[in-house]
Amino acid sequence: MARSQIETDVLVIGGGSTGAGVAWDAALRGLHVTLVDRGDLATGTTGRFHGLLHSGGRYVVKDPSSARECASENLILRRVAADCIEDTGGMFVTTPIDDPGYADRFVAGCGAADIPVEEIAVGAALGREPRLNPRISRAFLVPDASIDAWKTVWACVRGATARGAHVLPYHTVVSLTMKADAVTGACLLDARTGDEVMVEARCTVNAAGAWSRKVAELAGCEVGVVPGKGIMVAMNHRVVNTVVNRCNMPGDGDIIVPIRTVSVIGTTDVPVSDPDNIDPTREEIAEMMEAGEALVPGFSHGRALRVWAGARPLFPKSASGQVSDTRDVTRSHSVLDHEALDGVGNFLTITGGKFTTFRLMAKDAVDLAGRKLAHPKECTTASEPLPDSESRRYYWIGARQEEMEHDAPDDPLICECELVSRTDLQAAMARRPNWQLDDLRRALRIGMGPCQGGFCAFRVAATLHQDGQYDRLAANHALRAFVEERWKGVKLISWGDQLRQTRLDEWIFQGVLDLEHLPE
Amino acid sequence: MVVIGAGLAGLTAGIRLAQEGLDVAMFATGHGALPLAPAVVDVLGYVPHRVQNPWVELPAFVAKRSQHPYARLSMGALAASVDWFKDIAAPLGYAGSLERNQLLPTALGGLRPTVLVPETMVAGELSGGGDVLIVGISGYRDFYPSLVAQNLSASSPAADCRITARAVEVALAGDPRDLRPQLLSRRLEEPQVRADLARSIRAELRAETAVGLPAVLGLERSHEVWSDLEQWIGRPVFEIPTIPPSLPGQRLQALLIQVFRRFGGRLQIGNAVVAGHGGDGHLESVTVAQASREVSVSAGHFVLATGGVGTAGIVVDRAGTPREAVLGLPVSFGGLSGEVGREYFGTHPLDRMGVAVDARLRPTGGESGHLFANLHAAGATLAGAEPWKEKSGDGISLATGFAAAAAILEDRA
Amino acid sequence: MTAEPLALFEVRSSLDHCVKCTVCESACPVAAVTGLFPGPKTVGPQAERFRAGDRSPDLSVDYCSGCGICSRVCPQGVRIAEINSRARAQLKRDRGIPIRDQLLARPGVMGRAGRPVAPLFNWALANPLVRLLGERTIGVHRKAPVPRAAARSFSYWASRRRPYRAERRVVYFHGCSTQHFEPEVGKKVVAVLEHNGFQVLIPKQDCCGLPLQSNGIFEAARRYVKRLASQLSVPGSEGLPVIASSTSCGLMLKREALEILGVEDGQLVDISQRTYDLFEFLLELHERGELSTDFFPVPLTVAYHAPCQQQNQLIGKPALELLRLVPGLRLVEMDRLCCGIAGTYGTKREKYDIAMRVGDPLFADIKDASPDVVACDSETCRWQITKATGISAVHPLEILYRAYGGS
Repeated sequence: MARSQIETDVLVIGGGSTGAGVAWDAALRGLHVTLVDRGDLATGTTGRFHGLLHSGGRYVVKDPSSARECASENLILRRVAADCIEDTGGMFVTTPIDDPGYADRFVAGCGAADIPVEEIAVGAALGREPRLNPRISRAFLVPDASIDAWKTVWACVRGATARGAHVLPYHTVVSLTMKADAVTGACLLDARTGDEVMVEARCTVNAAGAWSRKVAELAGCEVGVVPGKGIMVAMNHRVVNTVVNRCNMPGDGDIIVPIRTVSVIGTTDVPVSDPDNIDPTREEIAEMMEAGEALVPGFSHGRALRVWAGARPLFPKSASGQVSDTRDVTRSHSVLDHEALDGVGNFLTITGGKFTTFRLMAKDAVDLAGRKLAHPKECTTASEPLPDSESRRYYWIGARQEEMEHDAPDDPLICECELVSRTDLQAAMARRPNWQLDDLRRALRIGMGPCQGGFCAFRVAATLHQDGQYDRLAANHALRAFVEERWKGVKLISWGDQLRQTRLDEWIFQGVLDLEHLPE
Repeated sequence: MVVIGAGLAGLTAGIRLAQEGLDVAMFATGHGALPLAPAVVDVLGYVPHRVQNPWVELPAFVAKRSQHPYARLSMGALAASVDWFKDIAAPLGYAGSLERNQLLPTALGGLRPTVLVPETMVAGELSGGGDVLIVGISGYRDFYPSLVAQNLSASSPAADCRITARAVEVALAGDPRDLRPQLLSRRLEEPQVRADLARSIRAELRAETAVGLPAVLGLERSHEVWSDLEQWIGRPVFEIPTIPPSLPGQRLQALLIQVFRRFGGRLQIGNAVVAGHGGDGHLESVTVAQASREVSVSAGHFVLATGGVGTAGIVVDRAGTPREAVLGLPVSFGGLSGEVGREYFGTHPLDRMGVAVDARLRPTGGESGHLFANLHAAGATLAGAEPWKEKSGDGISLATGFAAAAAILEDRA
Repeated sequence: MTAEPLALFEVRSSLDHCVKCTVCESACPVAAVTGLFPGPKTVGPQAERFRAGDRSPDLSVDYCSGCGICSRVCPQGVRIAEINSRARAQLKRDRGIPIRDQLLARPGVMGRAGRPVAPLFNWALANPLVRLLGERTIGVHRKAPVPRAAARSFSYWASRRRPYRAERRVVYFHGCSTQHFEPEVGKKVVAVLEHNGFQVLIPKQDCCGLPLQSNGIFEAARRYVKRLASQLSVPGSEGLPVIASSTSCGLMLKREALEILGVEDGQLVDISQRTYDLFEFLLELHERGELSTDFFPVPLTVAYHAPCQQQNQLIGKPALELLRLVPGLRLVEMDRLCCGIAGTYGTKREKYDIAMRVGDPLFADIKDASPDVVACDSETCRWQITKATGISAVHPLEILYRAYGGS
């Protein structure tokens, strides 16, 4: 077991949107940053939400301050992270089961929060989205959008590493080193090699989201974050191309987000004790499918592609920390200065919040860290574009298809569902020197389309073997692991078209390839 | 006669009946699973240990699995169907016997047991070991020779047998887009193209005694492609089936359809059968969907061979309730129940779902034990098997299709 | 496939049934002969997930010929050809529709324009220099099979004939080809129907819009087909069978106008439900014992090819079954699925070669059978087959007509 050491200004624990945003912000201010995550980046809450870039409309009545925050961050992110955003627009519609009186309060709330809102005729709404419930009574346009969380996180990280940051995925924080009532760094364990890394940091930021309670405990601090479990179902294609919301007080399953090639319906909100133990239940899945009917009749008869759950980091501002219905907890974030709260120096926690406000959360955290470090540089993330967003052109769903249609023909597709070619695979490997197959999967979306790896899993494992990246056993193992990983998401949706796909995939993996009986 | 479904089971039953001079109309929603399959005939591969002699191990298997389709047949009926198939499919040169599972390489380089093998794959039988050259074609993305060769070299078919396999890749001249399987196999039907291929392979050959290629050796002229390659390379050549599309599968399908038509059978592809009508234990007619109308088709006997879940012969709604899609027959879970397992390779509650049948292959139910005296079911529609695991799918389709036809012929006699 | 035509969003939603099995790609006659077309699954349900309706990301879908074989062989009920058709229309809306396609899509216009000067028109279309010029300028391949304008339209004859009156009546939907290029076929259709005791109503009627639809000109296609439905809804003809002798136009009414164009029109739905392919109708008569079978022997060898559009009606091969009743006839059924012309597809400069390669196996089989004549229900297929094989291709109706003693 090897040991190495890193000296850094800011150690950031947690590689989700908040942590990545902190790394980007701090690096822009000239600080040396080390970002760590126990797994791959964006695999916590960030990798498991529906991809909504809030206009703020959802919160105008219930949580106006959060609404205002979302509205202004929405504008900022459109400026600096355009490449990660698809400008789908959003709609709030009053369905037959919604409170008709809410709509006016909604409009007033949007006005108060400076959120552009435009009422359109129902006919126009249906013209724009033919699958919408024809019995809606009112429709409003707002600037919701969908945002690719994975892309955003990696853009922040690329920007940070270009400015000298260290990024260490698959490193668990085993302990925080303390000296004289202050956190001086951490002891990390590389999960893949078993090596130890000692980090000496002048300031440590706990950006572990739903896990921030556990991290804070390592320094003897208390962070009353309550993980709120939310499940989501991805439907096989975009039944709508606009984000559609029910015009009602926020509830379960009241939003459908078109994100890349799928439509995601969510979500639920159930407090749980362990953010790692959040399997969706059959009842929750049924609830989401039925909820979709209010917005899109026939929704529940569509093809469910995958189901998963995420754990939100909810942080109640009240002192008691006891929460019954997590939907009542504010969605604004909190920066906890542990020097002031617990007497532990050089340590702060940034928690609560939502993806849409990650930049602002990062700013607040780095502002505090900057003060602690007597480093007076100002935040520039509101104007500095992330890597690849310099042109300020939004993502277009057809981009990859168009590129592929015009590209050189001798670049065979490895994953046809998601249009991933051989050169894409090679480029992704080049960008991540110590990649795992799962990292590549997240980067390229291999196996995330309708066939759930039925055809591409074989091609990927065998290509990696052919290119010398895997030896025989690693390739065999990778293929089996891939298949097991995909199973986790589809086993609970064993009905209809996806069951049929599962059966065809079984015929391919077991019938044709006889994957179970490869030589050891 | 009406046969619903044009897969292996449907075509087997249809050809058998048409051979006896009966008027057979066959309807299918589409092409089904035949063009996807490796086109070998699996009878029983794993129980779960690998089966060496299906003839010997079947009775014990069936004794433990009373709901399995093989439990509805006699061994004699199974043997008769296999012999019949070899005869009908003679142009594709199927070889093998029920008393011996042959071991063929997969596209991953594992070894897979099967009973009947077409001529283009016979030289890949490696249960006695072998020294083979595995050839990939650059740009063809569904075959990776080095993984195949390495896994084959690590496979030991038996204690004293070894396989040595070496991989090479050769390039074919021309447009890389032409390396999609359909186009590639047609290109190989041009003599010059396969002469060039043979030359490239010959140049790479050392002491290997046989040459393995991906299964793209032609569609209509596979015999010429394969035998020319053997002649020009100077070694036995074998195809290795891979993920769909399957050229061997398409060849078998084309042959069976041709034979069916030759015996006067009428096949309509694209027509879904949407309902059946009958009473008093007798099925009178079925409703067939056309482009803008539905029509009623009456017949004396009906065979349901729509396939299982994979071809939407059995559908499951969101509540988990299964339905037999054409006639609404009751669906049996084939003896399984419980929650879906965490691991992929386990057995899951829906894996053996299908229509349960009696010893004459008539769907069970009702007072007399069968729902309709003149309705038989065959193939993957039947409950009780996990064909992709057992490697039993083709055998089940073949034997039950054959037996369903036999039962009908008996009824009429 | 089910009997219910699907609403537009249901056509798109049918992509959910795609399990990527590749059956369609194996059956596609165009993907089998060119790398320019990656296959129906690829440009259909797969690419559809990347289309957000406004801007087209496509290119290769233009090479889909619209033959519809993919939809027919799909075991899961994905409306692949229909998805492709709509994607092609979007592509053309984005890139502009070439003059050539506007012309080819309006056979009625061309026929009417050509008729007054029919001899000159026909001479020009047969003149190699004119054709070469045509290829260079507007893009119709110089060797593409083209029809000949008739000196008098079918409706001219229809309006001057003495109609046979009977209790049993049908409405005749003759189509553009009969009207402008092959009025003789139409006359024989009427004669055969009358011989079987039907009064044949021939309302004034225009193009069904199929060539507009297949060239992606949807708005005009919708206008045309709605107008046609209205024209065929002759007052007093409610519930009567509408007989289509052009099999591709018949399919347009039966299904494509509803599923590809998404036309929601009460008259069209009504007409659609009582449209019959000519031989479908005659075979049903025969099954009821009502068909006149007073046939003279026809000592010919006939190769029968069922066109794609006829097969897509999912009615089997009624022409073949009916011709089997004709004594002396030696029928050889062609096994190949597609002749390649696909309406106007094979006439285009950039697609002509593809179309010929698609049809090659059929042409070879026909020549091997050495028939006296080829029978095929679709006019464009007939023109393609005749040009490619040198053997005359006729509507199967012409054989029946001869069997009834016509000449």
